[in-house]
Amino acid sequence: MDYDIPMDGEDTGPTVTIREASPAAVDFILRHVDLAFANSLRRVIMSEIPTMAIDLVEVKKNTSVLADEFICHRLGLIPLNSKSVDDVLYTRDCDCDQYCENCSVTLSLYARCTSDGVMRVFARDLVPQDPRANEWVGVPVIKDDNPDGALILKLTKGQEVEMKCIAKKGIAKEHAKWAPTAAVGFEYDPWNKLKHLDYWYEESAKDEWPVSRNGEWEDQPQEGEGVALDGQPGPFYVNVETVGGLEPDVIVQQGIKVLQQKLAGVIQELAGGDNQAETNGDGFGPRSPEGPSGGYDQGGYTTPFDQRGGASAWGGGGMTPYGATPYGQNGGNW
Amino acid sequence: MNAPDRFELFILGDGEKKVTWNLDTRVPNTAIFTFNKEDHTLGHLLSSRLHKYSYVQFSAYIIPHPLLPSFDLRVTTDGSVSPKDAIVQACRDIVGELDQLSREFTKEWELKKIANTESRN
Ligand SMILES: [Zn+2]
Repeated sequence: MDYDIPMDGEDTGPTVTIREASPAAVDFILRHVDLAFANSLRRVIMSEIPTMAIDLVEVKKNTSVLADEFICHRLGLIPLNSKSVDDVLYTRDCDCDQYCENCSVTLSLYARCTSDGVMRVFARDLVPQDPRANEWVGVPVIKDDNPDGALILKLTKGQEVEMKCIAKKGIAKEHAKWAPTAAVGFEYDPWNKLKHLDYWYEESAKDEWPVSRNGEWEDQPQEGEGVALDGQPGPFYVNVETVGGLEPDVIVQQGIKVLQQKLAGVIQELAGGDNQAETNGDGFGPRSPEGPSGGYDQGGYTTPFDQRGGASAWGGGGMTPYGATPYGQNGGNW
Repeated sequence: MNAPDRFELFILGDGEKKVTWNLDTRVPNTAIFTFNKEDHTLGHLLSSRLHKYSYVQFSAYIIPHPLLPSFDLRVTTDGSVSPKDAIVQACRDIVGELDQLSREFTKEWELKKIANTESRN
């Protein structure tokens, strides 16, 4: 099957220029992709990368001034290390009744203030219990020099908290506490040459909307320069900042992977095992509109794609590369 | 109380399929694909990719209702390729591009790491 290599002469495919990299964030320029591609990557990084977060709390004792559910909410938002989180199962895919060491990490919190003055309870006071899926998952993220981690609550003399916290794997589409990133910076066309933005202003849009740092990477438009009506968005200036559970480069790579698995699920569904009769192009016109269910078996007929489907770049060998879904081991639902 | 579980946004229900589709009998070479438990991330990605193939004459997606986690993708081709095969091809091409992006990113990241350690020394 012949088809055009898309995009106006750009057959190079995506390219990346990393401007800044640190343990906390990566700043890069994404070129030779369209807006939909760049935005899908951004969306997937924001909301569909699995991480660990506290999801269940058993409050054994709480004589602090804060309500149980208030503390539980704070506990959920504490970043936990999510390195190699693939080793952890989703609880819904696990055989256990509620949770177990294959699908969760238990952290215990115990603090009692015995002295005068205020005692501060930090993320470092959350103690991960063994056994765990691996040595990293579920350990509270501590980035400060003290090292303390996030402040959970404060106690005064005689007050006490004791809690059992169950951290589970999840994605930010379910709850924002599973988001791997604090923010994804995303910009294109800093000079607004494409006029995708219509600036609101009091006196002068030029003075009131300073051009971002990314403007230095593109030519300033000439005075009176018209709008390129066929102009395409790009390059894209992306900044991925981690909350600490995953390294920034891992977040980007996981985002790519999740997007690929999404697409692989579609390929499997549309081109997979049950070959439909209409695959040879002209056969689909006159058939009844009942779609896939009406397909008749052509006895082993395969499309040219089916041979390629098995072992392509995104997966392992001839076995179905779609098996491992982002939501668990059993690809059955896909 | 009666709020749906939030995982229903992305976990297929019992017996639910990721993609179902129907031919549009009023227009030749046209089909409407319903993607379940998907959103703009996939909808816009596929629909705008399809615009780049010369055999695709029309593609657009709609999210029928903001509370429903699904979208409908309508595709019309010139007849040389079925709408379904056009989508499969689009998916394969994007997966390939993502592969290249992953390699590019790894390469750049390693270079940056070397540069960072050198500047620290
Ligand atoms: Zn379990």
